[in-house]
Amino acid sequence: MPRYALLVNSEKCVGCFACLVACQQQNQLPPEQALIRFEDREKGKFPNVSYRIIPLQCQHCSDAPCVPVCPTSASHKDNTGVTLIDDEKCMGCRRCMAVCPYNARVYRPEEGIVAACNLCLSLVAAGQEPACVATCLTKARLFGDLDNPQGDFARLLAKAAPLRPDFGTKPTVLYI
Amino acid sequence: MAAKPFSRRTFLKAAGVTLAAATGDIFAFNDWLAKAKAAEVSKIPSICGTCSAWCGMWIYVKNGRIWKATGQKQHPASKGKLCARGHAGIMWAYNKDRITHPMKRMGDNWFEPISWDDAYSEIAAKLQKVLTDYGPQTVFYSQNAKPTSRYYMQRFMHAIGAPTIHSHHSICSTARDVANKWTTGAMATADMANAKCILFLGRSYADGISPSATANLADARERGTKVIIVDPRYSSSCILGDQWVPIRPGTDLALLLAMAHVLLEENLYDPDFIEQYTVGFDEFKKTMLSYTPEWAAGITDIPAETIRTIARDLGKNRPASCIEQGYKAPNGANYVNGTQTFRMMICINALLGNYGKNGGMKFPLNPKLGELDPKQYPVPPKPKVPRCDGVGIKGEYPLCQTSQGIPHLMPKKAMEGKAKAGFIYSFNPARNSPDPKLMVDGYKKLELLVVCDIQWSETAMAASYVLPECSFVEREDLPTGIAGGKPAVTMRCQAIDRIHSQTKPFEEIVTGLAGKMGLQKYFDFSREEVATAMLKPLKLTTEDLRQKGTIVLDGKAKELSFATESGKVELYCKAFADNGYDAVPVWQPPLANAGKNSFVLIHGKQGIMSHTATANIPGLLQIAKNYNLERIWINPAKAKRLGIKDGELVEVSSPYTSKQVRVKVTERVHPDAAFLPAGYGNLSPWLKTGYGFGINPNDFCPHRVEAISGHAMMMEVVVTIRKVGE
Repeated sequence: MPRYALLVNSEKCVGCFACLVACQQQNQLPPEQALIRFEDREKGKFPNVSYRIIPLQCQHCSDAPCVPVCPTSASHKDNTGVTLIDDEKCMGCRRCMAVCPYNARVYRPEEGIVAACNLCLSLVAAGQEPACVATCLTKARLFGDLDNPQGDFARLLAKAAPLRPDFGTKPTVLYI
Repeated sequence: MAAKPFSRRTFLKAAGVTLAAATGDIFAFNDWLAKAKAAEVSKIPSICGTCSAWCGMWIYVKNGRIWKATGQKQHPASKGKLCARGHAGIMWAYNKDRITHPMKRMGDNWFEPISWDDAYSEIAAKLQKVLTDYGPQTVFYSQNAKPTSRYYMQRFMHAIGAPTIHSHHSICSTARDVANKWTTGAMATADMANAKCILFLGRSYADGISPSATANLADARERGTKVIIVDPRYSSSCILGDQWVPIRPGTDLALLLAMAHVLLEENLYDPDFIEQYTVGFDEFKKTMLSYTPEWAAGITDIPAETIRTIARDLGKNRPASCIEQGYKAPNGANYVNGTQTFRMMICINALLGNYGKNGGMKFPLNPKLGELDPKQYPVPPKPKVPRCDGVGIKGEYPLCQTSQGIPHLMPKKAMEGKAKAGFIYSFNPARNSPDPKLMVDGYKKLELLVVCDIQWSETAMAASYVLPECSFVEREDLPTGIAGGKPAVTMRCQAIDRIHSQTKPFEEIVTGLAGKMGLQKYFDFSREEVATAMLKPLKLTTEDLRQKGTIVLDGKAKELSFATESGKVELYCKAFADNGYDAVPVWQPPLANAGKNSFVLIHGKQGIMSHTATANIPGLLQIAKNYNLERIWINPAKAKRLGIKDGELVEVSSPYTSKQVRVKVTERVHPDAAFLPAGYGNLSPWLKTGYGFGINPNDFCPHRVEAISGHAMMMEVVVTIRKVGE
């Protein structure tokens, strides 16, 4: 089985929000609910300034805190390493949201369920890239298989690391 | 806005038990749900109508409703990608603020529905009266030009003998376009894929997005291209650049004059190119002598040594180096010195000898489209009366282009009694030009103003008749050629059925009105016939484009030539001299200068907004709200002096108005500049989504017309900012 991963090159993210909206459309979410969010960091003093934008979403942790706390086993890891939520089983208790250190899950009040990035596995199954990767203008997002890395994904994989290794959840969304 | 998916769980919880009990047939519902989920998805090629980059897109339709969009890979602007506006813009069709019926204005914010037939009849009668009483020189048409509207409305205007046709550029890029016309004959664009060093002045590919340009900028760094960005604020593009050079607002011309000085003084220019392809080098060189980097440093606030380094970076990498062509930035419609700023950008590119060279400036190739046989389909004669905006007229705006004109001048002409009737299509000058009150007051002085749009824009609110077009996903348009390294042709196709039965595509509206004006003979064809004729020389059919969306054509680079009066790059421009303008650019200070406690109010796009039209798209406005994107940026040093902290509510004041907004205190802006995003502040109460959110730079700026190209000088205004108690 492949082990899917996402590389996020924060040196190239310009914060254009294209990924956020493409994700909402792919998943048919209303404007108020987004599975991708952004943080930014400004450093230095005028005129010597640097600025970085960090896009965040489900980090698909190998030791995902959301999985063991789920009372109905709705939150689970699939065999490609992706963290998924089974809509049929989710009862909207939101324990997973409380334990997610990346604040990467959203509650959908009108559905009574929790939602998070699923790496667009339906698109991946059809041989396409996740919606956020496909539309990223600057190639700040790269999708690939950790066991069989190819192209830019392979080249940058060596440089990539979890955003917050101190959380100890072993994410498969890795940052440069 | 994304469709709210049917809430299966809630439904089951509420009704499932009773249903099952009553009929024992809950599985039928599950069957239906499975069918709905598995519904066939169709993919239709379209052209994004959310901004003017016009990206090729595929629209995915499921159960007759739009699901999502992706970028067309072969379209030169999208190259397989779409920005947030593109993704969200396809849902415009479902917006609750659409104009759904032809409307007639009865009073302030008071419109009554009218039938199409009555609207045509009343408009035709009023237009006829204006033509009889005042003549065709008092009728104008302002548009954000699109293939179908340009074709049909030019015919209509010529048929009534009226020459005044505008694009939107006097509040966008006329200074750039006029400078290019008179200096190189046409606009060349930067060959970023091959440049070793490229200088951007203000323009931000990552804020005013065309996806392929943003992608090119990101790739440039990986290739090792040196990217220098001069801008009063650290734009989103600076994330991708090597060097941010903050500049005092409105002083790019001084920087350019000093750069030319360095290139000439240090022999970093191309003497062969100058000899073969330019006129006026001696006068040009003489003029540049006095503009030392030390002189420019005092004006621009850029250290003299930095100016020298930038000039050397370009000079040493020539000809694979260039100054990017710009757009509204740095000065397309911003400051009094706009036209000469662009003249200087072009002159420096000429010094670098980069025209036609890899990594330099290249003239794009245009596909040659066909037209209807004029023998079978009569073409109305060109109007003989003068334009009412003074464009092309000696003593008024002789050098401004008739293809663009000065749309924002029309309300003033209406007040002077020189404009009497107007048509405006898919364009919102009442909100997107300085001094919105003057714009609306002027438009209301007209005897007839017909606005065609999809939503209740501020301009529509000033109209005597509002005619609703169907949105871009609900219509097919004429094909359009795309200029580029390789030319291409594309066509928007209809993705979904018309949602509101009383909306119409523009060609039907113009043809309907022409019928009532007795001008049917000029419109005796279908759009399909025009499209077929356009595609014939390319040996393509409309069906080809309905299948493929965009088709890239072969094109061979032409030998380098310049379509100016001299046939060369005019470092010294005789046409400028003949009309009393400086033939070689000289320093001209901006009108607005920041003081110790005041700011020049600058503005710009954001990746999620195109002017104020997109603020009414719920998917985009929600992002602006979540991330506080409407805030005004000021530098911390000045904020501290004014006692203002990040996130506080402030009052921004110019001599023309005072408005309140929250502040973003950031090191990423020059202390002399206050940056206000240009996409907010909807004034039309019927744009219910965007109304009341944020403020707009145009409110603070007076109505003005720059002397050479006729632009609106939209950043020539000083504001003060003070904290207000909450």
